[in-house]
Amino acid sequence: MIELPLGLVGISVLGAILAGFTCSTMGTFVVRMNLASIGYCMSHAAFAGAAFGLMISIDPMIGALIFSFITAFALGPIAEKARLQSNIVIGFMFSLMIALAFIFLNYVPGQSANAKALRILWGSILSVGINDILLLGFLSFVIIIFVVIFYKELVSIMFHRKLAESSGINTKMFYFAVLFFTGIAVSFSLRIVGGLLVFALIINPTSTAYQFFYDFKKILIFSPIFGVLSCIVGYYLSLTSDFPIGASIVIVSAIFFAIAIIISPKRKKGNGKK
Amino acid sequence: MNKNIIQLKNIQTIYEGERVPVITDINLDVKTGEFISIIGPNGAGKTTLLETINGLLDYAKGSGTVFGKEIKRHKNCIRKDIGYLIQNYEIDSLAPFLCKDVVMMGRTGKIGLFRFTGKKDWDKVWYSMGLVGMIDFASRPIGKLSGGEFQKILLSRALSQQPKILLLDEPFSNLDYTSRQQIEILLNRLHESYNLTIIMVSHDLGFIPERCNRVLLMNKGKIILDEAKSKALKSKIVKNTLKNGRKTI
Repeated sequence: MIELPLGLVGISVLGAILAGFTCSTMGTFVVRMNLASIGYCMSHAAFAGAAFGLMISIDPMIGALIFSFITAFALGPIAEKARLQSNIVIGFMFSLMIALAFIFLNYVPGQSANAKALRILWGSILSVGINDILLLGFLSFVIIIFVVIFYKELVSIMFHRKLAESSGINTKMFYFAVLFFTGIAVSFSLRIVGGLLVFALIINPTSTAYQFFYDFKKILIFSPIFGVLSCIVGYYLSLTSDFPIGASIVIVSAIFFAIAIIISPKRKKGNGKK
Repeated sequence: MNKNIIQLKNIQTIYEGERVPVITDINLDVKTGEFISIIGPNGAGKTTLLETINGLLDYAKGSGTVFGKEIKRHKNCIRKDIGYLIQNYEIDSLAPFLCKDVVMMGRTGKIGLFRFTGKKDWDKVWYSMGLVGMIDFASRPIGKLSGGEFQKILLSRALSQQPKILLLDEPFSNLDYTSRQQIEILLNRLHESYNLTIIMVSHDLGFIPERCNRVLLMNKGKIILDEAKSKALKSKIVKNTLKNGRKTI
């Protein structure tokens, strides 16, 4: 078992818990909206931002956050304007961000700079600072308030957007808000699990919750519970086994999903209610 | 039955990117408490007309008001009092929603932003589920229902809104004969008890409810006949249009 200072462990565990909470809460909406690829898109937006930061000699994390914000903010309106499915626009933004990242890196001298930008994609939970915790804590609070206050609108849109609109809901506003919060949750969690593994925190806990319930409210409650549990158990596994933390979290969340498939009451005959 | 609740003047609706309007030259006055059936062959513009009335589709020309308010400007507001039963669509069998929650969704706009659902709202949900005979299905997953049961839940959803206008797009599709009769009786009862304004799209002349007092015949995006039900059912234009329409389907 790796020996780490208690303060560092505390901060990084808290960071993992908050990342698990925010990503898997927004994952409930992402899975329903079939937007799984938003994780890739946002992580590469952050990567391009980090490269941009290095190019103009500012902190790459600031560049990553700026690009993530802009991308998260632009996804919804572009999809609406182009009259395309959000998934297509996410694919477009993903490729654009990779292209931009390569162009920016081309102007950054030295291999170490490239490694700095790539660190955004891999993540490093032990480098999490108090500022990251505050940002994620604030985001978790905002997401809870958003979901609690607008639950009835959100659930209605998740069922059928046109029907929701027909009952007098401004669906566009909420749709954009979900995309925006998801994008921000991904970009704030990058430092913890990395851009490539954050995808698992969005998809796996919600997919696990889907194995047990037909009720959207229960999925919305249990998805973050599975997300947080994956992070805690994954962190412990990493400390005891010397596996990378991000990878351990993903492995644990995948095991939860596999167990859920096996014991899912949805597959038992004569038990369709739940 | 004297006040115009819906007024459409020279309305033309075109889908985005299209040049040919789906409906054109639509002039329609609907009085409070009228029960109208819109009939016509496929592609006549019946659904487009319904969605123009509740503002889901913007009209390109003309002017339209519902409850005395311009549709384009106040669409979110007027929709709160318009119940809409969408044309039947396939629901994903794993959709994570319970029937009672789907019915409650009808009240979302009515309850309004920053407000939570309360006991009164749930009472309306139980009442409207009772009206369509689906109260026992309250805690069933929506994806596990048959087509007819799903249709009844969607109707219940529209009723839970306590609408002043009910727009029904093919309400009898997917229903067996007994269920059709039950829904027909329910629509007649609702119309009689609440003086509800009902506009119903149908392509089946055999299922125009008893209390329906006016029939609109649409073809190629225009209203080509607007008559009392008794006259319309005897009209040769109706028979010919529906007959020709069937041949082209």
